[in-house]
Order: sequence, then C-alpha cells, then structure tokens
Amino acid sequence: MIKRVAAFILTILISTAVASDGSRAWDILREILFVPGVSGHEGPVSDFIQNNVPAGFKFQRDRMHNVWFTVGSGKPHILFVAHSDELGWVVDKITPEGRLRVKRGGGLLPEAAEARPLLIHTARGPVSGIVAPRPGYDERRQQANAPEATFTAENFDIFLGVASEAEARALGVAEGDSITPKKVLVDFAPGLMASRAVDDRAGCAALLDAALRLKADAFRGKTVTFAWDVQEETGLFGATELAKTLKPDFVFAIDTFVSTDSPLESKRFGYLPVGKGAVLRAVDSSNVTPRTEIRKVMAIAKKHGIPVQVGNSRGGNDGSVFLAGGAVDIPLSWPGSYAHSLIEKIDRRDLEALTDLILAVISDWK
Amino acid sequence: MTDRTAKKIGVLLALACLAAGSLRAEDLKSLTRELFVVPSTTGNEDLLAGKIRGILPRGLAIEEDGLGTIAVRFRGPAASTFLLAALDGYGHLVSGITPDGYLTIDRPAAPPHARFDAYLLGQPVIVSTARGPVQGVVSQPAMHLLTQERRKTLVENFSLENAFIDIGVRSEREARDKGIEILDPITFWPGLTELAGDKWSGPSLGLKAVAAVLVAVAESLAKEPPPRETIIAWVAQTKAAARGRGARPALGAVRAKTKWQPVRTIVVDIVAAGEDGKAPLTGKGPVFILPKDEPSALRQAFERAAAGAGVSCQFLAAADSPVAIPFAGPQSEVLTVALPVQFLNTPSEVIDLKDIQALRDLLERFLKTGGGQ
Repeated sequence: MIKRVAAFILTILISTAVASDGSRAWDILREILFVPGVSGHEGPVSDFIQNNVPAGFKFQRDRMHNVWFTVGSGKPHILFVAHSDELGWVVDKITPEGRLRVKRGGGLLPEAAEARPLLIHTARGPVSGIVAPRPGYDERRQQANAPEATFTAENFDIFLGVASEAEARALGVAEGDSITPKKVLVDFAPGLMASRAVDDRAGCAALLDAALRLKADAFRGKTVTFAWDVQEETGLFGATELAKTLKPDFVFAIDTFVSTDSPLESKRFGYLPVGKGAVLRAVDSSNVTPRTEIRKVMAIAKKHGIPVQVGNSRGGNDGSVFLAGGAVDIPLSWPGSYAHSLIEKIDRRDLEALTDLILAVISDWK
Repeated sequence: MTDRTAKKIGVLLALACLAAGSLRAEDLKSLTRELFVVPSTTGNEDLLAGKIRGILPRGLAIEEDGLGTIAVRFRGPAASTFLLAALDGYGHLVSGITPDGYLTIDRPAAPPHARFDAYLLGQPVIVSTARGPVQGVVSQPAMHLLTQERRKTLVENFSLENAFIDIGVRSEREARDKGIEILDPITFWPGLTELAGDKWSGPSLGLKAVAAVLVAVAESLAKEPPPRETIIAWVAQTKAAARGRGARPALGAVRAKTKWQPVRTIVVDIVAAGEDGKAPLTGKGPVFILPKDEPSALRQAFERAAAGAGVSCQFLAAADSPVAIPFAGPQSEVLTVALPVQFLNTPSEVIDLKDIQALRDLLERFLKTGGGQ
C-alpha cells in the first residue's frame, strides 16, 4: 500500500513538474557550458544536473559522480546516457617560478591553447592563467623549412601572474586541480553558436530538458533511466561503472556527431549539416547500430515530424559498453562541427529536435 | 595650530592624496578597458580614433593627417614636444568570401613574427563591418578526423592558405547580408583576463594600454596646461613600412613627421618583456630604448622627470623602432619610452597595471615641468 501511495505521489510530482511543453534545452546548454567538469572532476556539473531535475525523481549518485534516475517499470528498459565530463588538463606540478605544468593529454589541440587563457579550478574558486607561448615564438627561425618541435600539453608553461611557488599556492592552486580553457560563447546568430564543451554538455542539456518535459503517461509499461555519466573522454569509465548495475535492453547514448560540415573536412562521410535536424549516429568507432533499429527510430521521428539525419562518423560512445550486457546501442546526436575544439558549433533547432526525439522514443519505443 | 592639529592635517592630506592616486589608477584602468574592446588594425583605425575622440575632453581641437592619425595640441611658447603612440595593432582582414559563405584571410601588413598567423587556429574572432561586429570562428579540423598527415598540414604548418572564418552562414550572399565586405578587419576575441599580481592579459593589450596612457595624459594637460607647446598624437599605419632602401620607417610615422615637423619627439611604444635577464621585466617600470650609448639631453630630462615623479625605469639598448626612425636626425631629437609587455604580439599580451600608472606619471611629470627645456 505504501509503495502504491509513493508511486502515486511520484506520478503527481512528475506531472506537475512539467511547467510547459517548450524546450529549455538551449538555455540550459548556455548555462551548463560554464560549469567546470574535466574528466575525473565532474562534481560541480553533477551537482548542477541534480539541482535542475524535478524533485520528484529519485536520484542516485555514485562515488565517481555518475548521476541517474529511473522511472516506470516493466520491459523494455531504455537507458539514455550523456556524459558530463569535458576535455581539459590537470595541474601536475608548480615550479619554483610559480608556473604550472600539466599532465599529458587533454584531448584538445595543444596549439589551440597556446598563448590563450585558462581557468584553474581550485578549492577556493577559479584562478586565471595563460599558456605561455612556446620559447622563441617571436624569433626568426634559423631554417624556415625545418620542422618545428611539436607543441604538446607537456610543453605547457602556465603563467598566473606570480613569480614563485609560494605565491601560486597562496592563490589556492594545488597539484590535481583541473584546468579548462577560458570559454566564450560565439553567437553567430540567434540559435546558432560555438563554444568549448558543447561535447557533451549539449547531450546533458537535451537529457535535462527531456526530464523537465517528461510526462508520466509516456513511460507507462516500460522502464526508463536517465543517466549523466563521467569520464567518457578518458575511456568510457563512468559508463563502464554504470554498466555493472544497469542492464538496459536499449541504450541511447546522447553525444556529439562528428560532422564534416566544415571547410577543412572531406565530405566523403559524416556530412550531416548543422541546422538540418537531430542525428542518428548509426556507425562510429565503437558501435554499429542494426538497420532494423535505425528504421524504428526513423519511423518514430517521421510520426512526430522531427527532422532526423542518419550518418556515420568517428569517435566512440558510452552506449557501447552496454553491448556486452545485452543492450542495443542507438546513439542519438546533433551535427557538431569542429569537434574537440574551443569552437564546437551547434544549432538550436538540432538540439531541440534531439530533445523531441528523446521524448518521442520514450513514448513510442517498444 | 598645534603640532597635533598639524599632524592630523598631514595625515588627512596624505590619505586624500592616496585616495586621489587610487581614483586616478581606477580611471586609467577604466580607460584601458574602454579602448581594449575597440578593434584597430592598420588601415582600419577609425573605430579606435573615434573612441579616443569621444573620450578626450571637449574643447580640445583634434588635428588630423588624412591617413587616420589624430592629435591634440596644447599651445605654448617654444618648439613643440611631440608625444606619440601607435593607433594600429597587428591583425588580419577579409580577403574574400567563398561561395559557401566562409571568409578567407589576409594581412594588411607583414606579421610581427612567423607564428602570428598560427594563433588564429580554432579561435573566436571578430569581423568589424560597417554595420557592426560580426562574430566568427577560424575553422579547425575535428580531432576525431585528424590523421598525422593532416595534422602536419592543417595544424603544425597552419597558414592562411588553410584558414577560413565561419560566421554561421551558407552562402556569399548571406555573408554580404550580414554586412561583410572585403577588407573588413579581423581581430582576436577581445577577452580581458585578470591575472594575479595586478596583471592583465589580452590581445593587443599593450597597444591599447599605451593609447589609454596618452588619453590620460591629454586629460591631465587639459586641466593643467604644460608650459611648452605639446602635441599628443595617436598615429595610424605604424605597422606598414614605407618602401625604399635601408631601414624601413613606419608609414604613419613618416606622415606624422611631415605634418607636424617636431624637433623633440617622444615615442611611447611597447617592448617585449622577458625573464632571461636581457629583456625588461613587467612591473619594474617604463623602459627607455637606447639606440646609442651617450646620454642625450632628452634622455637626461626624462631621467630627471622619473626621479621627480618617483618612477623607477628600465633601460634597453636597441635600435630605433620603425616608428622612431623618421624623427631621428641632426635637427631633431627622439626618445622612445616603452611599456614592457610579456608575450608581445600574441593573443595574450600581459601588462602590469603598475607600469601603465608609472608611464602616465612619468609623461605627465616630464611635460608639466617643461620637458627639461
């Protein structure tokens, strides 16, 4: 009896939580982009997600900061998962001169960070720094044709404005602090922008928006889990942890489609233009979605009048780690130009189509 | 008046001076911020010139040279002292529009160093059109699709041949509808970063800080005119070199020399700061650039002004810059005083706020005491 009352209350809460049918995904994205969450440091972004989902959902959170909630009951069990982590670096060392060194990696072009501002996320708040230009950047090269030394994250020499280790530490900076590029929003036009960390904050925003717009009757007779997982960029670690407890029949990873809609890319594959709708990322480096499932998604999209493009590109997705557990992985995306850059481009219409598609799948998937 | 009262008045006066100094520092910071966001590249100095005109005290007549340079004159006896700073920074311009709406890029003047163009890769930029700023990004390859070969071509050997600005349109027509025209200036996103230790960082920040210092000096002279004729100029086209044999003077400087014919010129420039023990340091005061070893009368006058203003200075032996070259001659004196700038000519030039205050104090002292004449 108590369980039935609780379920009734939950249903009421979810129903009343839907303030309107309008999508808030774009506004959520423009806010969540600025919440720091380098892989392994996702606490603040997981907090943001948890604080922005209606109170009626029973959230779970593990020690890695994966967060998720499940509604409904019965079969099939559908999992939607977006990763909350972003590319960045971690302070490895503070030099006697007060400069910072970082660990190798980061996933971004080091050249795009050279002579650029960063934010070091300390326990006391963000501290600004500059990646010093490589030594001799302004000197005439002795041999113009000789190749330049490769510039990697290990070459980063981050200047904070101080001259000693003690001064750097006095700012609150410590080994292990995460570092992100200083982000800007480039507004090409209303509803078309570029910024850092659109991958995969757009996925996070789409899932949050879908949660806000979710109606109780949509998931009647099935189990639906919404998850925001961590450490995707460094090896799908958050999803791997989730896969130990969640055994979905279908997993819809919500992540960037690496589009070749760019003046620099070959259009041989991956040419799904920005602004032409959501994406079903049928084939990537980690998964091949069966054509039967693709047709199901496209039929649902057609029924609801949602623009969806289908294509293949590169990169892995979190859904792929659920394959071994018996799930079918059907990644949903938006077309994203300039993936893993400071200028990842996204169109509002694509994001809203993606949210609509998530809600339509919840409602119609069998 | 008792000793106690005198002491109290002394303390109050000292506090008032401190407060006034602090207010003046805030004014200079605010001026620098205002100028920082205004793009200005060689041949496209009109926006910054317009901004400076708008800030300068009313009543000061603006003189022009037709090339984009603006100046204000404080009349007085004796030969004039000409104080100048550059109005233009290094930058790029729109050289074409592709059929699918991307912008191609060129430069109005030679770059300051070989890596200058490479800083565009994958960055937000502003295209300043006649109808206002247009936001864009310089394309970069997607990391997932980057082979070693493409990395070499598109990243390690990045050049303007592979640089396209995406302004979020699909055709040349749409680009033109946004106001884009060939030759529109392209500048880095004007993000100001506040660092620890009173340091600021941003693109073309050194240039803008020096321009702001001259505005502050002009404001001060408008309230308390100098005893000698003084002209303060913000000179356009200093990054374009005049053609001809030998050392290449800056076009704008040649033009300014012809127009104002100064006998004593103070070039207020920017200079690369470093940490190798050879270059000047930020935070240690303005830098005198000394092409010759012997102390000139002008240099001595400046050193006296520095001592009087309590400003510590640095000295650097270096050849005259292209801006200073036209003003040097048997009948005229020129001295370059520079603001030390770390990471000069990168998108993150670093200045120390103490240096710009010291530079302003030094110039004011020099001019208000008659410039040693």
